[in-house]
Amino acid sequence: MRTKLGPISLLIVGFLAASCPLFAHHGNASYDTAKTVTVSGTVIEYVWANPHVFLKVDAKDESGNTSHWVIEAQNAVNQANAGWSKDTFKPGDQVTIDATPAKNGRPIGRFKGRILINGQVFKP
Amino acid sequence: MPTRSIWTVSPMALILTAVLLPILGAQTVPPKSVDDIKIDKWNSVPLHGTAYAGLKSAPAPRHDLSAIWDATGDPTNIPPPGIQPTGAFEHRAVLPDNNSPPGGEPDERNIPNPLPYTPLGEATLEAHKPTGLGVRSVPAVLGNDPVDICDPPGFPRMDLSEFRTIEITQTEDQVIVLNQFYRTWRTIWTDGRELPKDPEPRFNGYSVGKWVDDYTFVVQTVGMNEKTWIDNQGRPHSSELKVEERFHRVDHDHLELTVTIDDPKMYTKPWLALHNFPLKLQPRGFDIRELYCSPSDFAEYNKEIGDPSIAPPVK
Repeated sequence: MRTKLGPISLLIVGFLAASCPLFAHHGNASYDTAKTVTVSGTVIEYVWANPHVFLKVDAKDESGNTSHWVIEAQNAVNQANAGWSKDTFKPGDQVTIDATPAKNGRPIGRFKGRILINGQVFKP
Repeated sequence: MPTRSIWTVSPMALILTAVLLPILGAQTVPPKSVDDIKIDKWNSVPLHGTAYAGLKSAPAPRHDLSAIWDATGDPTNIPPPGIQPTGAFEHRAVLPDNNSPPGGEPDERNIPNPLPYTPLGEATLEAHKPTGLGVRSVPAVLGNDPVDICDPPGFPRMDLSEFRTIEITQTEDQVIVLNQFYRTWRTIWTDGRELPKDPEPRFNGYSVGKWVDDYTFVVQTVGMNEKTWIDNQGRPHSSELKVEERFHRVDHDHLELTVTIDDPKMYTKPWLALHNFPLKLQPRGFDIRELYCSPSDFAEYNKEIGDPSIAPPVK
């Protein structure tokens, strides 16, 4: 299990990013939409709720330090329409997830496409 | 050559029948209309696009809107049209070349179809700080969207933001619209009463409606609470707001909604918020999934994602 931070600099400074807890679409302000991180780790909790469904993943970096990631999707209705359910993830699942990272460098992300659950590509 | 008895053919036919029947039986007969489709799953997913390919609609029934209708449209459209995250569909607060603006602009002068604000309308707009998507969007800590604290969206915002699946039912005196978002409903009176002259403000206002032809139902609404926004982008209204909705049943499977906003305090002339906006009939048995704003769910979300994402950058 490891977290690849890819091209992200951890030294992004000076910008107070923001969350926008809307139902339909999270605002763009808090995420660096040009970047992608790959988070690999163990599912701790899967919250199927509004305003947004989210997943907590513990991921270890190359030094063995654990990062507590939280990765959000959209609201439960949009996710259900896209083929997700309350049972898509369960605690203990080994996952690899591509995510758009928060601009402030904290372990917060938004689902961005590729999802592997216990080695299998998730195809809703 | 002896004549072949029919009995010599029959065993073959029986064998063929025995082999083919299960195969043919396993093939589903394609539906010819939405009425041939029956959904028996809870929390149904709206059907659109390819699911309805080849279906032929019956003519519209007279004076009848009763059905479950979906406004989210073809799922290949992102965002789905009815959700309107960047404001009323006919006046989206986006830049001409960008459907997902980062926000931060002081006003809407650069959007393709700006609204006819009065000076008061412009000032009230600027006092409203939308979050999410749109040219004027601000970080959530600076926003003041009433829906972000689970206030009722009210009317007409329920047509112009998070407009998803609705169920319409009719009685002798009412047309009732049941709305997925927040699980709210509106009563549109058809008993001939007049709109109130000096109404006590309500989030959803006061609505009366009448059929202007066999397939077009026109609704007038007044008396809306000034705490509400017209749409996701903070378009303002005063207590003088009047809204007209025209529900036009094009045929059995298709409904169109046109919404006109008239508020002389905020706008120099009436404007179209929706224009022949399409709603699609959903099959029998469709079960509408709930979509609430729960303050405790919001608190959990803000604790895990909202607050950390606006925390100072990691050094």
